[in-house]
Amino acid sequence: MALPQLIAEDMRELDRVLSDLVTRREASAALIIDKAGFLIAETGDFGEFDSTTLAALAAGTFAATQGMASVISEPNFTCVYQQGENFSLLVRNVDAETLVMVVFQAHVSVGAVKYFANSAVAQLARQFEAAQQRNPGGKVDFAMMNMENSGEFFRKAG
Amino acid sequence: MAIINQATKELQVKIVYYGPALGGKTTNLVQVHEHVQTIEGQKGKLVSLATSSDRTLFFDFLPIEAMAIKGFKTKFQLYTVPGQVIYNTTRQLVLRGVDGIVFVADSQYDKMEDNVKAFQNLAENLQTLELDLNEIPYVLQYNKRDLPNAAPTEYMEFLLNNREVQVPSFGATAHKCQGVFETLNMITRMLLHKFINESNRVKQLV
Repeated sequence: MALPQLIAEDMRELDRVLSDLVTRREASAALIIDKAGFLIAETGDFGEFDSTTLAALAAGTFAATQGMASVISEPNFTCVYQQGENFSLLVRNVDAETLVMVVFQAHVSVGAVKYFANSAVAQLARQFEAAQQRNPGGKVDFAMMNMENSGEFFRKAG
Repeated sequence: MAIINQATKELQVKIVYYGPALGGKTTNLVQVHEHVQTIEGQKGKLVSLATSSDRTLFFDFLPIEAMAIKGFKTKFQLYTVPGQVIYNTTRQLVLRGVDGIVFVADSQYDKMEDNVKAFQNLAENLQTLELDLNEIPYVLQYNKRDLPNAAPTEYMEFLLNNREVQVPSFGATAHKCQGVFETLNMITRMLLHKFINESNRVKQLV
C-alpha cells in the first residue's frame, strides 16, 4: 500500500487537524510526514527550521527506532520523543505510511502533547483512509503533461 | 513510491545513491549541491549523518527542486546509504519508498569484488522491501576513472551491467564533478518516463 492521492479536500482537513494540534498545545509547529521521508503538510512557526530536512530526519529516526523494536521483538513502539533545552520533538505513528511530528517548547508538558497528538492521529488516519477509498490505486495522469527540457533537468553552474 | 499531491500540484521523488564503501556516493551529492543551478531558495542544505571521520553512518540527504513536468513542482530528494557491510539494516531503511537508484561503483581493479557484492546486496535489500530491480529505474556510475588502476569500463559492464535489460552507465570522476550531472539527469529522465508510461498503461486499461 502506498500513500493515496490527496486532493484539496484532504489537504484542508490535514491542515485543520495540524492547526488544531498546534493551537491547543502551544506547539511551535506540526508536520505530517510520509515514512519514506517526504513532507506532506506543515503548520506553525518554522522560523529558521528547514521543514523538508526535518521531515527526512524524522522518518529516518522513526525507521531506526522500528528497527530496534524488531531486534528486541517489541511490536509497539509508536512514538519517538526527544527532550531538548529549548525545543522538544514528538514523532508519532499515524498509519502504515505516515507519521505526525510536533515541535514544541521544552517547558510544555510532553504528556499533554502526547494526549492531543493521539486524538489528531485518529483524525488524520480517518482522512487518509477516506482518500484511499475514494480512489484505490489511483495515479495522476502524467500523459496530459509535457516534460520540460527533458534533456537536462539539472544544470551545472559555470 | 513518489508522492503526488494533486492539491498542491507537487511531485516528490526519492533517488538513492547506492554502492560499496568509499566509492564516492557522498561525493556525488556534495558536487550536486555545490554546482547545481537553481532558482534562489530551491536548493536545500546537504545534511550528512556521518561519523567523526566523515564516513556515512546513516545517510546523506539533499533536497532540490526542478521544473521537470509542466505545471508540477517536482521536488527531488537525493539520499546516499552507508557503504560499509555492517550497516545493512540502515541501507534497508533508506531504501524505503525509493523511486530511482544510482549505483556508484569504484573503478579500481581491487574493488571489483566489493562492487559485485554491493550490487547483489542492493537486489537482496530491495527484495526484503518487496521491490524488484527489474521495475525500479537505475543507472550505473563507474567512478574514479582518473585513478591509474581503473579497470576498463567494458570489464565493469561485464561484471555489473549483465542483467537481461542493460541500463545506462557513465564513467565519472566525482570529485571533479565529471559524470555527476550526466548520471543524475539520466536517472531523473528514466523515472519520469516510467511514471508517464504507467499513466498511459492505466489509461489504456480503462
